[in-house]
Amino acid sequence: MNAKFRDLLVTNFLAIVLGLGASALMLLLLDKNPIEAFGILFSSVIRDKYTFADIFVKATPLIFSALAFAFTFKANLFNIGVQGQFYIGALIAASGSLLLQGRMPGALALVVVFILTIIGGGIWGSFIGFVKAKYNANEFLVSMMSTYVALAIMNYLLRTVLMEAKHEYPQTDALDTTVWLPTFIQGTRLHIGFILAVVVAISVWILLYKTPLGYRIRVVGYNSDAARMSGIDSNRLYVVAFFISGALAAMAGFTEVNGVQHMLLQGFNPNIGAEGLGIAILANANPIGIIFAAILFGALNVGGTIMGQMSGIPSSIIEIMQGFVMVFVILSYFVRSELETRRAKRSLYKAVEE
Amino acid sequence: MDTPFFELRNITKYFSKVVANKEVSFSIRKGEVLALLGENGAGKSTIMKILYGLYKADSGEIIMEGVERKINSPKDAMALGISMIQQHFSLVPAHTVTENIMLGNVHGRIDRKVCEREIGELAKTYAFEVDPHALVKDLSVGVQQKVEILKALYLKARLLIMDEPTAVLTPQESETLMQFVHEFTANGNSVIFITHKLREVMKVADRIIVMRNGEVHGDLKCSDTNELELSRLMMGKDLIPSKRGEGDLSADGNEIRLELDKISVVEDDQVPRLKDVSFSIHRGEIFGIAGVSGNGQQELCEVICGALRSTSGQVVLDGEDITDLTIHERIDKGIGYVPADRHKDGLVMEMSLAENMMLKASYGKKWLRHGLLDRNALNSYTDTLIKEYEIKASGPEAIAKGLSGGNQQKVIVAREVDNGSKLIIFDQPTRGLDLGAIDHVHKIIFAERAKGKSILLISTELSEIFTLSDRIAVLYKGMIQGIFKGSELTTEKIGLLMAGYNDDKRCTDER
Repeated sequence: MNAKFRDLLVTNFLAIVLGLGASALMLLLLDKNPIEAFGILFSSVIRDKYTFADIFVKATPLIFSALAFAFTFKANLFNIGVQGQFYIGALIAASGSLLLQGRMPGALALVVVFILTIIGGGIWGSFIGFVKAKYNANEFLVSMMSTYVALAIMNYLLRTVLMEAKHEYPQTDALDTTVWLPTFIQGTRLHIGFILAVVVAISVWILLYKTPLGYRIRVVGYNSDAARMSGIDSNRLYVVAFFISGALAAMAGFTEVNGVQHMLLQGFNPNIGAEGLGIAILANANPIGIIFAAILFGALNVGGTIMGQMSGIPSSIIEIMQGFVMVFVILSYFVRSELETRRAKRSLYKAVEE
Repeated sequence: MDTPFFELRNITKYFSKVVANKEVSFSIRKGEVLALLGENGAGKSTIMKILYGLYKADSGEIIMEGVERKINSPKDAMALGISMIQQHFSLVPAHTVTENIMLGNVHGRIDRKVCEREIGELAKTYAFEVDPHALVKDLSVGVQQKVEILKALYLKARLLIMDEPTAVLTPQESETLMQFVHEFTANGNSVIFITHKLREVMKVADRIIVMRNGEVHGDLKCSDTNELELSRLMMGKDLIPSKRGEGDLSADGNEIRLELDKISVVEDDQVPRLKDVSFSIHRGEIFGIAGVSGNGQQELCEVICGALRSTSGQVVLDGEDITDLTIHERIDKGIGYVPADRHKDGLVMEMSLAENMMLKASYGKKWLRHGLLDRNALNSYTDTLIKEYEIKASGPEAIAKGLSGGNQQKVIVAREVDNGSKLIIFDQPTRGLDLGAIDHVHKIIFAERAKGKSILLISTELSEIFTLSDRIAVLYKGMIQGIFKGSELTTEKIGLLMAGYNDDKRCTDER
């Protein structure tokens, strides 16, 4: 167990270093000095309190979207529609907040909006599970396409009922400060949504590993035949799993709208779903691992933006960096299992020789 | 003494966690039938896969007619005249016999007529009744095996390796296979049989290599040994066969527990998978179903456990109609099911033993404390079962995948014996297990019978059916060929019934 944990730390660290190393080669191709660029990247994120806190601001929606993907992934289902569920959540959060603000105390409004977001996102998501259970539709395709439907609904509403009072841009009016998620560190944007994300990640872990529902979800994911033979109704689980997954993705919409944007903009944060998928895979769909992987990606996002501003390096290099890190982390799984096999073989040789 | 045809010298092979073969040496002469005898996991298949080029040995050498050879792939092996027939056939069901035999052995323009004629002649030489034009999917398992053999003969194999060839055959089909083996070796060719069936070994082999724990533990002439000695060498200890429970309770007097009434499973216009199956099982009775696999056994189990809905008929448990209940409800009624395909239907291989133990109880409150799973209780429960069933595992947290087949089966049996308070269905409970594990499972079955539980036993091993069953039904193409008391049947008679011959329509169901 100890050797295993050591392997985990060492290989993941090496994977990140190798990922950065590979992106350094890309920088060389751009005739930029990679050492200088990385210097900016690292120094910039710890430059001041505001920037450092922004890492966690960026990580917050990524934790939710990664959890959303990971949750159905545990049941061997692919939810590719996280982006759409995120938009649905954002829509409900924005319209709910606009409707309720001023009519009730801010804190109460936030709680009500949060609950509405969960229900709305859950229902939106559970549709995917429903068509899979009922008509054996491919959840991969249905969820992927559902994102476009969500996007179209958002665009439509932003040009009609939700459009700002000035009727200029496809965006809502700004929310009242009463329904903003409060920040908890002075002089930063870091709002309590981050704490919510961590709490939710831990709850998802408990749900998956400590409750019968999570147990059944994992059984269906590992071996749906054995699940069926054991009387587990996988069709119902599909609906439940996608409800929870959709609700998790929608929470990202809530924290982004009420915590960061304070309004709803057309097509904002278009990469939440894709990055969440990457993070989930990076963390091997482990809810606790997701917290750390999301913070890593948050840091790369923040640093990359600043690096782009300061050194003239296109900030898209950050996406390449994320890609490389992901590739190497996934490779590290194989390295770890190889190390494990070798260890077993070594102890066997030893046992045989004695 | 002439040089052996093939000789294996000091072959050692490690897998990541086990020594599969340790300094294995033996030889085979021309015209000889060699039996490789051993329990599962003794390393029989591994050594043969090394000879056939599927695995690479870590050390040791292979010598053919006095010359050392490197065999790196089955292609090399075939070039030397070695052919292996795997336990699971590698045939394309949608293709004809000819196409299957040609596969991989033809180049350029294919002259189908010539191939068909050659194959037809080849079949005739060994009196195989195989139509070269027939589609493989229409053939019975026994004939499919002949196609596999023809494939090897077509490649001019001189050493034929057969991995458990009789496992899927009726007694009559096995007989034909043995005849072929004699003819084939009479022409100066050699055959290696991989098997764990003692009786078969005594009948067919010239020489016997006994393997245990990856090592050779005996190299004997068939004429110099007997079944007792072989089993001792195989097990490393004497086997005490399991005894039936005290006072062979003839179950007739006991009340009926499970009753099937004219169960049929028919999909659209297809051939019925089960047709008018009726029988009843009493309390404390072991009801055996014999038959060649694929004749409706799986469907029968699934109809009883609820995974498959019958298209007509009734399933009654303790006087209550359970035909429309779900699997989950039937588990709650006390039906346990040990499925034939334990990897697919019985276990979650990636989960721990403890987690596998609660597989069927996930809806109940049994393992909950304050709404959360009570791991401690589950672990200590699993621990007692590990001790009780002598499951070789590091503990309740061990992952199912890491256990040997026999121990995995014990995990399922332990769980289902606990689940099935009224009825336990055992579908092929000992397939692929070694003698020690088989014996253990048999003892458990008898013990549960003694407690008054009803047992439905499905097995393709006739000896198992005969040893355990109070009454025996024979299933052929989804139909019951007759229900008999164990003593009323002979191997020959049951063999005919299993093959679908049912001249005298006598049925001794006492209902």
